[in-house]
Parts: sequence; structure tokens; C-alpha cells
Amino acid sequence: MPVMRRTARRAGLAAVAAGFLAAGCASAAPAARTAAAPAPVPASPMDTAVTTADGTWAVAVMGGSAAQDNDFWQLFVRPAGAAAWKLVTPPGTADNGGLIVAGGSGSGLITAFRPSQLLTYTPLSRTDDGGRAWSALSPLDAALASAPGALALQPAGRLLALTTRGTAEQSTGGQAEAGSLTWTTLATTRALAATPAGRRCGLAGLTAAAYTPAGQPLLAGACTRAGTVGIFAQQGGTWTPAGPPLPASLAGQAITVLRLATTGNQTVALLQAGRGSAARLLAAWTAGPGSRWTTSPPLRLGRAALASASLGPAGTVAVLTTGAVLTTGGRAALLTAPGAAWRALPAVPPGTATLAPGAAGETDALAVHRGTLAVWRLPAAATAWTRAQTITVPILYGSSN
Amino acid sequence: MPGMNSGLNIDDPTVVAAFKTALVHQGLIALLIFFTVGLAWLTLRAWLPAAADGPGGADGQAAAPAAPAPAEPAWRQVLRIGFGVIWLFDGILQAQPKMAVGLPSQVIEPTAASSPHWVQDVVNWAGTNWSYHPMQAGAAAVWIQVGIGVWLLAAARGPLSRLGGLVSVGWGLVVWVFGESFGGIFAPGLTWLFGAPGAAGVYCVAGVAIALPERAWRSRQTGRIMLAGLGVFLLGMAVLQAWPGRGFWPGTGHGQPGTLAGMTASMASTPQPHVLSAWITAFTGFDEAHGFAVNLFAVIALTVIGAAFLTARPRLIRPALVAFIVLCLADWVLIEDFGFLGGLGTDPNSMIPFALLATAGYLAVTRAPVAEQAGEAAARPASRRQRLLAATRPQVLASASIGSVAGLGAIGVIILGAAPMAAAQASPVADTILAQAIDGSSAALNYSAPSFSLTDQRGHGVTLKSLRGKVVLLTFLDPVCTSDCPLEAQEMRQAGQLLGAEDRHVELVAIVANPVDYQAGYTRAFDQQEGLAGVPNWLYLTGSLPQLQRVWGDYGIAAQIEPAGAMIGHSEVAYVIDARGRVRQEMNFDPGPGTTATKSSFAAELTDAAEHLLSQS
Repeated sequence: MPVMRRTARRAGLAAVAAGFLAAGCASAAPAARTAAAPAPVPASPMDTAVTTADGTWAVAVMGGSAAQDNDFWQLFVRPAGAAAWKLVTPPGTADNGGLIVAGGSGSGLITAFRPSQLLTYTPLSRTDDGGRAWSALSPLDAALASAPGALALQPAGRLLALTTRGTAEQSTGGQAEAGSLTWTTLATTRALAATPAGRRCGLAGLTAAAYTPAGQPLLAGACTRAGTVGIFAQQGGTWTPAGPPLPASLAGQAITVLRLATTGNQTVALLQAGRGSAARLLAAWTAGPGSRWTTSPPLRLGRAALASASLGPAGTVAVLTTGAVLTTGGRAALLTAPGAAWRALPAVPPGTATLAPGAAGETDALAVHRGTLAVWRLPAAATAWTRAQTITVPILYGSSN
Repeated sequence: MPGMNSGLNIDDPTVVAAFKTALVHQGLIALLIFFTVGLAWLTLRAWLPAAADGPGGADGQAAAPAAPAPAEPAWRQVLRIGFGVIWLFDGILQAQPKMAVGLPSQVIEPTAASSPHWVQDVVNWAGTNWSYHPMQAGAAAVWIQVGIGVWLLAAARGPLSRLGGLVSVGWGLVVWVFGESFGGIFAPGLTWLFGAPGAAGVYCVAGVAIALPERAWRSRQTGRIMLAGLGVFLLGMAVLQAWPGRGFWPGTGHGQPGTLAGMTASMASTPQPHVLSAWITAFTGFDEAHGFAVNLFAVIALTVIGAAFLTARPRLIRPALVAFIVLCLADWVLIEDFGFLGGLGTDPNSMIPFALLATAGYLAVTRAPVAEQAGEAAARPASRRQRLLAATRPQVLASASIGSVAGLGAIGVIILGAAPMAAAQASPVADTILAQAIDGSSAALNYSAPSFSLTDQRGHGVTLKSLRGKVVLLTFLDPVCTSDCPLEAQEMRQAGQLLGAEDRHVELVAIVANPVDYQAGYTRAFDQQEGLAGVPNWLYLTGSLPQLQRVWGDYGIAAQIEPAGAMIGHSEVAYVIDARGRVRQEMNFDPGPGTTATKSSFAAELTDAAEHLLSQS
């Protein structure tokens, strides 16, 4: 065997050491840059309140700890004409993934349990007596999208649901009362984006579903093309643009539909124009396709983000933000009627999860601290919140582990 | 890391007791192995006294006359005895009661956590295998390491001794890759001070040196290579230590301890005698106050010692060796915390092995080579075949030293640990002890199963009577359950797969355990979710609420509506019903942590129960 010369041997050892060093240094180096991902579509948090003929319903997450398994979503109702709220969370299913409610123009409310942990489909419950009794509906065999407007109820009993796989599923027939539902895919994000209406919008994703007062399905999403509102109505099997025209000041902004719902004979949409510190909120109201839209002035969010959006009676819209907004300077703002200006509400009580506009012009702030819900009320002309009620929710911590 | 561990508590009394029992049983077998080998040796020596007196065989002709083997040089003695003791100590550490369950989750997983994904994948594979068979794996680690230790200590010379070095390399590599995540060399923060490149890596280097042929024993070149390699390594470590931005220069930063102080602070917080933690805490405080100076000292020390080793000049390596040993001991006490204190220690870390390696290198360079034995080569049998034949003769064992006999016994001990593990690895199914640890064992029963008449997921009526002639594995599942029931369904499905062809004689049956969401739409959605829709012998039964409530009552199942968004609370039980409709076993069926290992274990338990009944019918 040839003898390795000393210098060569040392060079070899040095090479091994260099390789070893390279491995050590390389592993400590920052990861390589990757292509910038598209900005996420703005979303509306799931804490919310909606109004139906039965009353005002509010959804809020309670419990809470470092573990998401101890976040339990609760449903409260303030029956029409009543002053007090009641806990009416539907039983039978763990709701750690979130509750999404849909009410029609009549009585009745559907609640969807967003999947969590090992559950991957969406159980559904219905109440027709203000939450006193619930009956199970056939589940949606997919995960409902994480948006408060992901489920809609048609007056005739059909359901329209947005799923996490980017489809809009509609129950066939009007069996929501009967308990047994079958679902068909009404649209997919990709197919809708490929339609002329979708292309004009540059549809990036679906964010809300609704029915018109006449029962036509509406889908809404985020547009990447500036100045276009991604609200689509299905007419004769074709999806057509159905969104409002925007003021010229927003023509250069990308628009996302955060909420879309029909109450009575009116459809209301909450829109976000722009992203980041330039983002603004505005609402729009219409009586249905073909009818004119009325829009509100924009609310400049500044550094704040939307924490909750609620839809009240007669087109009322209440928003809660994570910080003071530029337009009003407060965290809570209210639109009391179609086309009205944003009204700043007094500083909300600590722990406020959502706002619930009432029929008499009052606004309730639902504040949460672990298993306790405090209801603070602000009458129409008042300037201070008054504690109206406290509800202790018997949360079973650890029951979902 | 999914699948990395069994999810059981490392103190689980069932597993701990089983592990202790296994070690005691295998320990007795190990003693028996040594006794048997020793007895055979003594017997042969008594029968073949000529052979016992010395080499050459009883007749003096059978084996070729061999010259006396060369004396083992001091450097090799240091390595062999030193690493033999370390392996023995590591084996004893592996016998800690918590080790069987705890090693994957408490040792391997944290070690791999900062490594790249591909390293985690490799390590995860091993951790999962371990967690499937914790008894066998835990015991194997004990006996393999004890065996290697005894082997190295006992067999001083000859092929058996060299083979011990190779086995040390082989097992050392296994430990280095799977137990130490490649010694952490792919993780950020690599530093010699914390033990890089892993103690087992040093074991491997020592094993290679022990396995060197005898002609290498007599060459100073061996020592020069060892020291030069160590020198280059230390210089590399010095560069890494000095590399900016790795957190070693500052004692603190942004109110947080630096990398070294953070490490020692966490070591000090582990359970150990107060005096030791006090030393480490004091050092941590010193490093926080003088981080730059401490790191500068480390960089300079590594550089100077490494450079001195690289020269291979005795007058330089002697003081360098002293300095290196002092540095190693200081690091071992103040930074590595003796390596095995606190938590589940598996070895004394890398400083003692490094010190042994450096000492051996020094001795190999400085001590006069052993005089070559004249005529050794000529005395050997002419061919490998002849040597092999000679080695298999009884005379060879009779003439063997007691050390070689002990080495043979050590090989038996290694096989004692490795063979059950290898056999277990051949099975893809986890040990049922995991399920028993979670839910306990079930007693044998024999009573008529309550009848039921319900509807399956396809809308067909099913009664218990209609299932006669088949073994029925029956449980109760909530179709909208978010945690346990999907796991239990998977366990049932796996049990069906494990049954193989016997599957056609078994019905996997679940009955809805939810008084709200019990409609057929839910059973179908659940089947879809769990991939059970196409399983031919899977039945998910439901009915009207009164029908279900009657069945729940008959089988002692509570299905309770809980408030405020909580899941239905229901009993988790599985019944094993024989072909005549009689309940033969009732199992607690809480799936525990639901890891891949525990799911497999429950499936194995169900399969065993079904196969037991099938074998009786």
C-alpha cells in the first residue's frame, strides 16, 4: 500500500474538518428565501351576532387556555322582545372548532359545528323555538369554512355552505326541517373564478354565502382586481356579478366581502377595501339583484383589525376592532341604518367579544372572561355602558382532550 | 413528531413492572449463559489437560503451534478497559425503570427536535419502532451494552478482542444515529462544549482503534493518526466556537442568557444533588457575567490543544494532554453535568471518552512499541480455512483464557438482548402491554350477550342473532366525537386487517353512543371520515332513540349530554362475543393517547381476543 505523504494526509484531514465545519455552519444559517406567498385573504372573526325573527343570537368563544381544546364556543339568544340573554348552545357535539349560525327570514336557526381535532365533517342542528330544543340535521360531509358567513339558510329551507376545500355545497330540496339533507356542489372557487364574473373580479377565495330575499343563492369572496366587489348571484345556472358599485375613492383598492347575509327583505354586505394600515370597512345594502345598493362611508381601520362584525335588525351593522380606528377613534362603531354614517360607540368593557345591536336602538356588548359572560348595554341615546346581566357558563374543561 | 413515542406516562406502573421483570428474567439467563460457558470451559480443561496447559492442543499436533500472542500495548488497554467500563455503565443506565417508555419521548425526541426534518424522520422511524416494543427494545439496549462492556473488559487479545471493537463500532453507530440524532451535527448550535459530535461517535472511533490488527499495535503511527485526527477536530470546534452570531460570545442578550449560560442553567435545574447544581449555577452566573472571556478561553484552549496534538511531538502533546484532560473534566462537571444526571441519562456524555481517546493517542506515540514476536507469522496456520478449523476444535476452548471465555459469555448476553428485539421488529404490530398499561387486563367472562335489533349504515336491519356463527367485536362510538371514538374505530379497523383471512369469521360492530346525533347520516359520515365505508365486515348500527337507550342500558353504557359545547360523555367499552352469542371478554376501551403505537397495541389486543375465540370454535 503506498504510503501517504504527511502533507497530503494533513490536507485530507483539513478537508474533512472543513466539510464538518461547513455542515455545522450551514445548519446554523438562516433558511433560504422562498418566493413571497400571496397575502392571505382577510377574514371576519367568528365571534358575531345576528338577528332573526326569533331574536338576536350571539356566538362567542369562552373557556380558553393555552390549549385550543379548552376553547368552547357558546351560543346565546336574546329572544325578541326580551331583555335578558340565555345560553342555548346546542348539545351533542364538541364545538371547539367554532359555531356558525344561519337564520332565515322566518323563525328557525341552523347551527353548524366546525370540525375540530379528529372530526373532519360538519354536524348541524336546528332549533325552531328560540334554542329551547334542538334537533340534529344530516351533517355536511366536509369541513365548513372558518367564516361566520359560511352558512346560509333559504326561506324555503335549503342550506348553502362554504367548505374548506373551496366548494359551495347546497342541500337539495327543502328538507332542513325534516332532518335529512343531501348535498350537491353548487360551485367551486376555481369554477367560479373561471366565469366571466369571476375573471373580472380575480376571485381569490370564497368568504361568505347567502340567499337573496327571493331565495337565489349568493356567493361572495375576495377580489384581486381593484375596485371590484366579489358578490355573485346565480341566475339561470350562470353566475353574474351582483355586488355594489364603489365610490371613486375606493376604485384602486382590492375588495374582500367579510360578511353577507339576508335579514327580512334586505341583504347586507360588510366589505373591506385595501389591506394593512390602508384598510377600510364599509357596508352595503340591497333588496336583491336588480335593486340598487346603498353604501356607507368607509371606516378607516388604521393599525386596528376587525375583531367581530355583527348584523342587527333593519340593516344595523356593528363592528368591534382590536384597536382604535382612525375614523372614530374608538374600538366599536355602529351603522344604524342603510347609508348612515359610522357612529363611534363609547369604549367597550374589557373582554368584549362581540356587539349585538338590538331592535330598540340599544347595543349590547358581550364580554367574556373564561366561563363568565357579562352583558353590557348601551341604550340608543346613552353614552355609557351599563352592566345588564351575567351568565355563568358551565364549561367542562378538558372534556375534549 | 408523530409516532415517536407511545404517549404513555414514563412512570406507568404496568410497563415499569414488566420491564423490571423482563430484566430480572433475562439477567438470570445471562448468569446462566456465563455459568454454562464457564462450566464447558472447566469441563474441557479437565478432559483435555494438555490443551489446558497451553496452546497446541491435547495431542500437541492437532493445532499448529502458535507463538505467544504479543502483549497488549498500554494505549489499547486504556481504550479497551475505559470504553468497556463506559459501555457497562451505559447498559446499567439503560436499565432505569423509566427507560422502556421514556427513551423515545424524553431522550431521543428532544435531541432530534432541533435537527433538520430528514434527521427527525430517520430518528422518528427508530423511535416509533422502539415505542411499538418498549420491553424488548429497552431490554435489548441493556444487554447489548452490558455485553459489549463485558466483552471489551474480558477479551484482551486476539480476534475475539478485535471483534469486540467492531461490535462496539456497530452498536455505537446505531446509538449515534438514532439515539443522538447523528450527534447533533446537523443541528444549529453545534459545540464541543455540549458534547459534539456525540459520545457514541467517540465510542465508534475508539472501537475502530480497538479493532486494529496487531501489527498496528506496534506502530507509533497509530497514535500520531489518533492525535492528528483529534487535533483537527478540536481546531474545527474552535472555529465553530468562535463563529460570530451563534450566541456563544455574549453571556446574556436581550435579558436572556447566552447559548452556553442557557444550556448550563437548564442543566442546573434538573434533579441532582444540591452541591452539583450549585456548582453549575455558579458557573452559569460567571458565564453570564463574563461570557466573552469564557468563550475566548474555550476558543484559545481548543486551538492550542488541537494544534499541539496535530504536531505529534511528545514535548508538546504531553502538556497539551494534561490541559485537555483538565478541560474535559471541567466541562464534564460544569457544563455537561456529568452527562447522566437529571432526567433519563443514557451515558456520561463525551468528555470522558475524549479524555480516554487523547490519553490512548499520547501513549501510542510516546511509549516504546512492543517488541515484535519473532516467528509469529510463521507459526500461524497457512490458510484462513486451517485457522477456522483449528478455532472450532474443543482444544481451543480448553486452552482459552478466562477472559476469552467471559468474552464468549458476553456474546451470548448480546444475543440475549438482540434476538427478542429482532423477533419483535419482524412484527408490525405493537406489544399489547401498551393497551394493558392504559386500560388494564380484562377478565374472562361467559354470559349471554344482550340482544339488539338495529339498523346498519346501509339501512339494513341487524340483530345480534343474525351475527351468530361469527365472533363479534362490539363497541359503542359517538359519530361526532372529536377525540377517542375515531381512534377506537381505527383500532377496530386495524384489528380487522390483522386478522387477515380470519377476518371473514369476525364482525366489527359499533353502536351509536350519542342521544342527539344518532341518525344514519351521522354513521355514514363517520364511516367516510374513518375510511370504514368499504370495510365489508364493519357495521355501524343505530336506531330510534328508545331503541338505542335500551341497548345502552342492556350493555351498561352511559351516554350523557354534557353542557356548554362539550362532547357526549359515554362509556368506552369493547365486548368480545363468541360465535354462540356469549360475551367472553369485556375490555376497557379508552384509547389513551392515541399514538400509532397504542392504536396498534389495542388492535393487537382485539385481534388476540378474536383469534382466541376462533381457535376454540
